[in-house]
Amino acid sequence: MLIEDPGFWRAGAISTTLVMLVVLVFLTIDSLAATRAGSARVPNYDVIDRQIGYAYDWSRGYDMPVIGGAEALFGRDDSLAEATALVARGKLVIQSRACMDCHTFFGNGAYYGPDLTKAWLDPAWSAIWMPMTGASTREEAMAQFLMHPDRYPTWSRRMPDLHLTRAEAEATVAYLKWMSAVDTNGFPAHFGRSEPGG
Amino acid sequence: MSPGGLIITAVLLGLFVAAGGAYGILYAAGQLRRSAPLARAAQGCYALQLLITLAVCLGSPLALPWKVFLAASAAAYGFIPPLMWRLLETMHRAGKEMRFP
Amino acid sequence: MYRSQRLALRYFTAAITLFGVMTAAGLLSALYYVEPSLLYNVFDFQMAKILHIDTLVIWLLMGFIGAVYWFLPKELGRETVGIALAEVLFWVFCAAVAVVAAVFILVQYGASNQFSMWFINQGRKYVEAPRWAAVGIVIVVLTFVYNVTMTAWRARKMTGVLWVLIIDLVPLTVLYLDAFPQMTNMSQDLYWWWWLVHMWVEATWEVLIGCLMAWSLMELMGTSRKIVEAWLYIEVMLVLGTGILGLGHHYFWIGTPQYWLGIGGFFSALEPLPLLGMVVHAVYDAGAHHMKTTNRPAFYWVLAEAFGNFIGAGIWGFMMTLPQINLYSHGTQWTVSHGHFAFWGAYGCGVIAMVYLVLQHTRGTTPLDSRAWKWSFALLNLGMLGMVGGLLVAGIAQAFYGRAQGGSTLQAFVVASENHWFQSGMYARLVFGILFSVGYVVLVYDLLAIGRRAAIAAPPQASVA
Repeated sequence: MLIEDPGFWRAGAISTTLVMLVVLVFLTIDSLAATRAGSARVPNYDVIDRQIGYAYDWSRGYDMPVIGGAEALFGRDDSLAEATALVARGKLVIQSRACMDCHTFFGNGAYYGPDLTKAWLDPAWSAIWMPMTGASTREEAMAQFLMHPDRYPTWSRRMPDLHLTRAEAEATVAYLKWMSAVDTNGFPAHFGRSEPGG
Repeated sequence: MSPGGLIITAVLLGLFVAAGGAYGILYAAGQLRRSAPLARAAQGCYALQLLITLAVCLGSPLALPWKVFLAASAAAYGFIPPLMWRLLETMHRAGKEMRFP
Repeated sequence: MYRSQRLALRYFTAAITLFGVMTAAGLLSALYYVEPSLLYNVFDFQMAKILHIDTLVIWLLMGFIGAVYWFLPKELGRETVGIALAEVLFWVFCAAVAVVAAVFILVQYGASNQFSMWFINQGRKYVEAPRWAAVGIVIVVLTFVYNVTMTAWRARKMTGVLWVLIIDLVPLTVLYLDAFPQMTNMSQDLYWWWWLVHMWVEATWEVLIGCLMAWSLMELMGTSRKIVEAWLYIEVMLVLGTGILGLGHHYFWIGTPQYWLGIGGFFSALEPLPLLGMVVHAVYDAGAHHMKTTNRPAFYWVLAEAFGNFIGAGIWGFMMTLPQINLYSHGTQWTVSHGHFAFWGAYGCGVIAMVYLVLQHTRGTTPLDSRAWKWSFALLNLGMLGMVGGLLVAGIAQAFYGRAQGGSTLQAFVVASENHWFQSGMYARLVFGILFSVGYVVLVYDLLAIGRRAAIAAPPQASVA
């Protein structure tokens, strides 16, 4: 009988694996094109000098980033090259301080701190940290907090002081702002609104 | 999805696989011991799995394609244990030679 | 005994030691949740977490490598080629792990420059080890691949299990190269990062442990090679058939196109089906041998592997894998619960089974039995069940209050984390974590003691293969 023959199953294993791998390769080529910075889903890094929102899109059925008019980060209007360098530095800060081992990015990482996918849009910056730090802008409050998290505790779990310099803090803020503009298929759902759907 | 709907659906999906697993284990144990009560218990578990499928299809906020998928996979759960058992018996009958060095 | 097998014993010793470090770091990580001011600004959560998950990867990898060094000369009837190099690299591997751990504990993190990536901490979950250590791991794995392939080549013998193993070692090595890049674009960074993490854990490792289980079944139950090989091919077909595109369930929310919701959801929802088949197989094997074996600890750990894999990966995974659910469960303690159960079921139990299997030979005891292994088996599994139960309750509370109801902001995260369901879940995780740790201590005692007294009382017997 065919099923008693290991050769039959070997052929099945090889062909199944190959088919799946070929499909994965095609999907990967497409996904990499769709996620390059400057694509429709992943905006270019100079988006850090634009207004960014997050609203329910009825045609798609999920929340989408909304890119608005000019809004210079830290009062600077960066060129694309400057913005790219700043965001690249931000990623290096995030890796060197192992942020991903407390926080999640797009839901990936560790779960001790909050998810940072839409952290730029969090109402807590204006509601809590701007008054606490005395900063007049959201980005300034974020930078102050990142440089001295132990000075601005909000609850029992406190972020440790990771000795970020001013430049590193600004780069991290730029990174979080860029990340909030990525189309994540609606994750996290109804961010900042306590009722789902609208 | 409403918070309540989320939890109920997730728990039902977990129970769906758990019932399928219980069916598989009890079916195999029933075959092994040639025990009618175990075989009946296995059928009971599978019936429970079908009921859970029905509950998810009728009552959960999952999208239609996922409900269709769930129904199809409930059918697959039905025939995997007997098929597997027959495959194992056939293979074990055939392969008594070539032992480990 | 071959030198390769003596090396296997060293790898097992290192693996079980690192299992202990992992458990201790896990306990510490659990403590921060109930006592957040613990070691604040001295040794914070992220460093305990890094130690916990990195030692997890390394102890399992060392267990696998050890098991292959054990079975390889048996399979081919000759000493492993290049064994002297492998012996040297074992010590290099251990020293590198110790240095990386010391850097993680003492230095912890660096400034935002390439020096930190090369020498301190790369900050990508699971592959935090600095690049120099990643280079070391590549060298160790390449030597391992060389050992296996050259031994088969020189022996002029190739078996089905060995073919699968050698082919599997290629992607296992190549995928690890993803531990090096430092990319700005988080979407693409995570895209490739999941190739490494998912394809290691849900594809290449599955196949590797499948090969080890194939050898174990032949040894433990005397199953014929033809059956075991046919079974291995079926497993490879099912695991890779569902697992390769099951990768898609990590691509729901990272910026990748919407089609991944359908593809990832579909293939990962198929993943419990092969696991169901394996459970039926486990019952068949248990019955076919009337639960009679001369190595009960190994036998029970193999059974725990089949059932743990089904429950941890199958049931726990299916609960949260469909996109509509995953939108809320993703990145909560629910994921942690699934991760713990699946890793334990699929790999932890398997490596412990291998160690018992090998101990029977080194101690020359038939049957291999003790009271302590039953205690450690019960404590470890009960501890794990309690931990994943606590984490599940905490995760569901987070998904409910923090995500679905609260809208995922910092405020919602705090509300969910202060919720009494969440808190109770975290306390339960800690208590059962302590139970698990006690189980680990008993396991170590048993591994040191089992079979020794009997071996002294009676002369060593031949193996039961």
